[in-house]
Amino acid sequence: MTEESPKIEERIRWAGFLVGAGLAIQGVTLIASHPLAFVAFLGIGVPITAAGVVLYLWSLVSGGNR
Amino acid sequence: MPAWLIPLTLGASALLAVVLGVRAQLTRSREGKILAFLALLILPIAAAGLGFSEHLERAQSRAFCLSCHVMEGYGKSLLIDDPSYIPARHYQNNLVPRDRACYTCHTTYTLFGGMHAKIRGLRHLYVQYLGTVPKPEEIKLYEPYNNRECLSCHLGARKFEEASGHHKSADLLGRIKSNRLSCISSGCHEFIHDVGSLGQANLWKESK
Repeated sequence: MTEESPKIEERIRWAGFLVGAGLAIQGVTLIASHPLAFVAFLGIGVPITAAGVVLYLWSLVSGGNR
Repeated sequence: MPAWLIPLTLGASALLAVVLGVRAQLTRSREGKILAFLALLILPIAAAGLGFSEHLERAQSRAFCLSCHVMEGYGKSLLIDDPSYIPARHYQNNLVPRDRACYTCHTTYTLFGGMHAKIRGLRHLYVQYLGTVPKPEEIKLYEPYNNRECLSCHLGARKFEEASGHHKSADLLGRIKSNRLSCISSGCHEFIHDVGSLGQANLWKESK
């Protein structure tokens, strides 16, 4: 098995933080049963989580070469 | 699924993702790669799906609908002590689930009715926080109330089909069923929320 470049780990690191932050925000919005909580879930939590997931997938396909 | 399990799933998934963020070198091993696949792809998607489903569920609750100040009077109108007021009669006699009283009558019983209701809800939110909030008595439905919403429960029920009021003329029931005569027409079930005259109304005290 070859050792990955630090570049790929850097992307995974950012992906981990983004996914963690996005899911934490989603969790916080569940505290309240209010329309604004729903909007915060959809408008803030989900996009941050999605950005993390996309960054993780990008780190896989880029293979640390770019 | 118990409601408490959803925040727990979100929290655990978030924690796992952050651990991978802090220790990205874990992904050098095969086990670490599998863990990253779970923590950064499978779990976030599953947890977000659960959270979304929970929010959708909550969006159907009466508390959710009445959380904006402008809707307070509509909530109060469910307690009017007069059976001729249709929403109050339905609410007080459990003809609709009390915790979903608003949604039960105000969703559209069509394929995408629930989705349209959510999109309209976003517009309401815009008006509430960024637009000009109308007076409660000035709030109108987007389109005339469709009998389809009433018939989704009442159609076929003996009390509805055989009610003397629905047979005053030969074609009356047919006109109701085909939405040519509205259930809330004048002289029929015309008293709805009537928030403008709530001040004079006697209110029923709901037992807890």
